[in-house]
Amino acid sequence: MLNWIEVLLRTIGMVLLLFFVAKLSSKKQVAQLSYFDYISRISLGGIAAIMVVDLRVNFLYGVLAIIVWIGITYTLDFIALKSKIFRDFIEGKGIVLIKDGKIMEENLKKEQFTTDMLLKQLRSKNVFKFADVEFAVLEPTGEVNILLKRNMQPVTLKDLHEKIPNEKEPQTVIMDGKILNEPLATLGLSPAWLLSQLEKQGFSIDNVFLAQVDSYGQVTVDLYDDKIKVPQPTELPLLLSSLKKSQADLELFALETENKDAKQMYMKNAEKVKDIILKVTPILQ
Amino acid sequence: MTVGSQVKQCAFTLKSIEQGLLNLSSRTQEEEAKKIFNEAACILNDVIADIDKRIGQLENEEPQYKGL
Repeated sequence: MLNWIEVLLRTIGMVLLLFFVAKLSSKKQVAQLSYFDYISRISLGGIAAIMVVDLRVNFLYGVLAIIVWIGITYTLDFIALKSKIFRDFIEGKGIVLIKDGKIMEENLKKEQFTTDMLLKQLRSKNVFKFADVEFAVLEPTGEVNILLKRNMQPVTLKDLHEKIPNEKEPQTVIMDGKILNEPLATLGLSPAWLLSQLEKQGFSIDNVFLAQVDSYGQVTVDLYDDKIKVPQPTELPLLLSSLKKSQADLELFALETENKDAKQMYMKNAEKVKDIILKVTPILQ
Repeated sequence: MTVGSQVKQCAFTLKSIEQGLLNLSSRTQEEEAKKIFNEAACILNDVIADIDKRIGQLENEEPQYKGL
């Protein structure tokens, strides 16, 4: 067989094999790989490269080596999935670097982690003062994760005592001008409903590049024609403002009327509407 | 515009808000928001009932404006 043809065939075979190996392996990012995973991936690449161009080596040996290697790592991963002790052994454990706001010098030394590296890692987490850190751990992947002191943590709605109902993820219902039926069905909406909503906003489906529906059923679109200005959804703000208007009207009626009972009735209902406004404002805004 | 027609207009606005809230509640995926919308619509319903009663009184007082 001509050498170049053999290289060609070997390359195709290896590419296919590695492709299936890649499909089989977990979706871990390179940054999340343990040292062992890292080495085994590089070795696989090495074996594949040698097999492809070194014609002295039997191709089947290379295939065998790759399959055995993959088999072993796969089995190890599987055992690690089941056993915590084994997992700690092959993947390593996180090391506590800062505890109760105090740096653990012993652990730094054990991991050969210099003070400069620690400070650099803290800076990469936007922490420039080590005193702001309550707890920090060095993950097996080499990343440092930190827990800030309570008073340094970013403010959340919970801190502001705002009670806001959860919001579900928006669903993408039109992609590249085509309606996606499955997400629409998840929301319990029909394509006809979507078309009517688009019509209401004055767009034809051919012009819509991307459309999403949020958890309150509002449609936001992006058009192919970027010169057209897309209106923001107005339904919720409109509802809120008409609520406010009604409340003001009721108060006005209460002031104007001379009938005592009516006055009281208006006041009471204005109060009720005010309560409603308070309740729905966090959602409608 | 008479007081009667102003009150009627207000009642219409409230009814449309109620419908809007019910509409929202039926489309919303989030249970908690659904509950808030439904409650709000329920209270509005009471408010509308009160105002409708008042509209009836007003129409009795000023029969010449009835139906406007």
